[in-house]
Amino acid sequence: MPLAVLVALLMSLPLLGTVVTGSGWWAAAAAMMTAAAAASALYRLSGRSSLAVPFLQLLAAGAVATPLFAAHTGWLGLVPTGETVSALYLLLDQGIDDIDFSPPPVTASTGVMFITALAFTALTVAADFLAVTARCPGLVGGPVLAILAIPLTVDDTGVGAGAAVSAATGFLLLLAADMWLRGRQWGTRVPDGSGPSVRLLNALRRAAVVTVSIAVAAAASLVVPLSIPFLGSGFLYLMAEGVSQGPRGPEVITTTNPMSSLERNVLSLSDDPVLTYSTDAEKPEYLRTHVLDEFDGVNWTMSPVDAEEERRVRGALPLPTDWRSGTGGDTVSTRISLDPDTPPMDFLPVPYWPRALEAPGEWYTAPETLAVFTTESGSTGLNYTVVSATDEPSAAELAATGPARSAPQHYLSLPEALDPRVADLAEDVTEGADSPHAQAIALQEFFTGDSFTYTLEPSPVPGGRDLLTHFLLEDRTGYCQHFAGAMAALARHLGIPARLATGFTPGERSEEGHWTVTRADAHAWPELYFEGMGWIRFEPTPSSPDAQGTATVPDYTSDDPPERDPAEETERPEASETGTDRESAPSADESGGAAGDGATASPSAAFGQDTDRGVPSWLPAVGAALAAVLLLSCLPALVRALLRGSRAAALSSGPPTAATHAAWRELCATSTDLGIPWDPAESPRATAARLTATTDPPAPARDALLRLALAEEAARYAPAPAPVHGVGADLRTACAALAAVSSRWDRARALLLPRSLAPWRRGTPRPAPSPA
Amino acid sequence: MSLGTQHGGQGGVHTDVGAVVAAADRIRHAIGTVIEGKPELLRIALTVLLAEGHLLIEDVPGVGKTMLAKALGQAVDCSVQRIQFTPDLLPSDITGVNVYHQDRNAFEFSPGPVFANIVLGDEINRASPKTQAALLECMEERQVSVDGRSRTLERPFMVVATQNPSDMEGTYALPEAQRDRFMARVSVGYPAPQAELDMIDSHSARSPLADLAPVSTSSQIRHLAEQVGAIHVAPGMRRYVVDLVNSTRTSPDLHLGASPRATLHLVRAARAYAALDGRHYIVPDDVQALAVPVLAHRLILAPEARMERMSAEQVVAKLVSRLPVPGPQ
Repeated sequence: MPLAVLVALLMSLPLLGTVVTGSGWWAAAAAMMTAAAAASALYRLSGRSSLAVPFLQLLAAGAVATPLFAAHTGWLGLVPTGETVSALYLLLDQGIDDIDFSPPPVTASTGVMFITALAFTALTVAADFLAVTARCPGLVGGPVLAILAIPLTVDDTGVGAGAAVSAATGFLLLLAADMWLRGRQWGTRVPDGSGPSVRLLNALRRAAVVTVSIAVAAAASLVVPLSIPFLGSGFLYLMAEGVSQGPRGPEVITTTNPMSSLERNVLSLSDDPVLTYSTDAEKPEYLRTHVLDEFDGVNWTMSPVDAEEERRVRGALPLPTDWRSGTGGDTVSTRISLDPDTPPMDFLPVPYWPRALEAPGEWYTAPETLAVFTTESGSTGLNYTVVSATDEPSAAELAATGPARSAPQHYLSLPEALDPRVADLAEDVTEGADSPHAQAIALQEFFTGDSFTYTLEPSPVPGGRDLLTHFLLEDRTGYCQHFAGAMAALARHLGIPARLATGFTPGERSEEGHWTVTRADAHAWPELYFEGMGWIRFEPTPSSPDAQGTATVPDYTSDDPPERDPAEETERPEASETGTDRESAPSADESGGAAGDGATASPSAAFGQDTDRGVPSWLPAVGAALAAVLLLSCLPALVRALLRGSRAAALSSGPPTAATHAAWRELCATSTDLGIPWDPAESPRATAARLTATTDPPAPARDALLRLALAEEAARYAPAPAPVHGVGADLRTACAALAAVSSRWDRARALLLPRSLAPWRRGTPRPAPSPA
Repeated sequence: MSLGTQHGGQGGVHTDVGAVVAAADRIRHAIGTVIEGKPELLRIALTVLLAEGHLLIEDVPGVGKTMLAKALGQAVDCSVQRIQFTPDLLPSDITGVNVYHQDRNAFEFSPGPVFANIVLGDEINRASPKTQAALLECMEERQVSVDGRSRTLERPFMVVATQNPSDMEGTYALPEAQRDRFMARVSVGYPAPQAELDMIDSHSARSPLADLAPVSTSSQIRHLAEQVGAIHVAPGMRRYVVDLVNSTRTSPDLHLGASPRATLHLVRAARAYAALDGRHYIVPDDVQALAVPVLAHRLILAPEARMERMSAEQVVAKLVSRLPVPGPQ
């Protein structure tokens, strides 16, 4: 049976084929799984308790892992040493980094191989326990589904048919092996003597029953969700980190992580068209899909968006935040056609600022971001029209704005553990900039300057460093998402609300008024908020012949008065690169030359702000945890008090027999709470005698105990028990006497952790032995 | 206030337990002048008398077995016969024989010593199995069959047998079937030193039996026995008794468990025990107090338990201590 488990899991290995590339990654996993399964099979031959099996399996897998992954550390390359453990731990760390920082599919580095092998070994141990020890091989489907879920969640390409068939076959083989083994244990099948025709008939009948059952189940699964009203529409649509979930129902919509799909597109260098559009604009805007507004120090993610009915798009879109009244006169209309071959998108690419949308299907928008999304599975080959405003603010207008006040605070939030050197860098770069606009320009010029290199293959981040620090201070190579993320983070540090937008650059003009956007045009850029102006796009990614060739630097991001030819400026990024070169040089000199008053003042202000934010963020958490602990520790006492209350109610108002029983039970519970044993094989009378003998209570309590015992005895065994009076008073006297002879510790324990609530401490009556 | 004299519930609803208690106290007191310092022994003897069972007293010679039986018979004022069992005792010596009368030219039945209210079988295990078996029918059927004719014995009929421990010389162990017919087995045990001192004084001049005046009559005992039959047994208590007897059958320490007759004996004895306590219903304490005397002599230990030098009494006590008492209904 352990071998059947092994086969089943080995056959589900190909499920990961789409997310792990490279050859031989499965060999290590297979070796460790085989070791675990062999340990299980061999040990089970001994017929000892199977509870030790998981530990033995882990030991066996660990023994195999040593020569596989850390041969140089082991004694003779085989026996693990302390060094092995640390080496394996380091390997694990590297593997996690590899998986975190590279888009799927990940390359099978040693770390990734180790993690895969480790995961599969754990699954083997779990499956072995389920199938062999617990004898529920059907539950092994759980681990197999867990493997299947990996490619489905990190990647939208799915799994190959071959891998799925292989995994399903393995699972069925496991079930068949189990049935076969069970059948053998029960003996041989007795032939029923009926002819082949009868057997055929029986088989047909069984098949019909199974078919009807399946049909009924399928129909029910279709009809029941539809008949429940709020499951039909996307009532509340939560979307976070690639997984969105309707919290009120089983509707789980999976979307890809915007960053990972962006990475995949950018790195593909593919000329496959994503969409084409026709526009009457001379200089089309970027096509934006997602807006990522949450930053955890490494990744930018999207806060959940709600698909409420009032946010449904019906023609006009809501006004963006801080929309400049009086403008918006100039609009362009863009007719966009999504390519039928691209995967469906549930966030529509729309030019900023969209004012109206005509698209088939249900679409919703978030007023803050103006991102347009759907709760349905997005469609391919969609045609829709967007009317967008074209008037950009001028550099002068932006320069006149003061600090942003009206943007929500979370656009300024940064992780607590931001490297102080990054903060210093932000101060240095914007040295001398007196307005948010000037600071933003300084940042943009810093990134497009010489110190950074655009490459699609940045050096990997060493372990223990975070991506932002590595990119800003050490490596300074990367592509659009690194530049955009870093600029947004620095802007936030400087107090400028910032967020990350992803989408596509305008693409190539194919003919007059027609543009084609390819996968390689996928792009990420920061949006900064200016008081009175709204969210403004910036372009910190340096141009490169590699990619993002159609990226443009907005006019308003230059200090120079816009006297240059707009065409030249919006042309190739080479032009703007030279321009930024010119301007970044002096600013770099300035930052290196002198540390002005403002520079020394602002970091402290920034840190002050940080600590201000820090105090209340942990205080409520600690408070809540304390409250929870208090509440939890009071829970047993509360339950005990409720029980006591219910018994008191029975005592005062119930029938006499019930009152007596309640009193006796309460006495039993009190005695148990106080650690005085209570023997279910002892009669009430004997119990009272023993309690009197062991605790030696004062005479009134002794008499009360005796009266209670006799009343309980009569209530239990007499044909017509006489009504007894004063049971409540007797109970109080007896309980008080018991408490008085107990130690302080026992009393405290009885209050906080009543033993009577633990059934195993209560002395439950054992069932009488049954006749043989 | 002591546990022993508590009168729970309403006395006298169905039964006149007061009369039982009063009569029992008189008998107990009377016997107490002869057998000193053994209240629990007297109590069980009275229980068996009221439950119309038979009592087996097992102990070494000279501790007052015969004295107890004689005192019991004398205190109740009913006919007492004594049979000294010897190896050459014949069945007809117990039951009686048909004797031919020449003058009347007819056989006439000459009743044996078994025709009495209380039959004292002394050293019962010294007789041959054949003779023991003759007593068997009398004990269970309460009738004597001689030459095809059955004669019913008068109630109350109680056999008080004494026996020496079976490992002593010249004894035939009682067969299981006969042991099963005794409701209870008790052992007298050596008296406490003070009781033994008192005994020297009281027995020095003349036998205290001579001074023992009857305090009850056989008809009174019959009446009391009927009262005892009406003592209430709650459903939980029935279950408890059955569970207890059942546990002897499944215990790994026992080779042979108690019979269904033991169940009946236990319930009857518990009723009498409760009545002696002045209660008109039985409680687990009655069953627990009687479990060892009523059950232990019927059990055969498993060889393993015998190897561990356990006694049947210990096994029964262990079973009693493990069985939960019946809770509220």
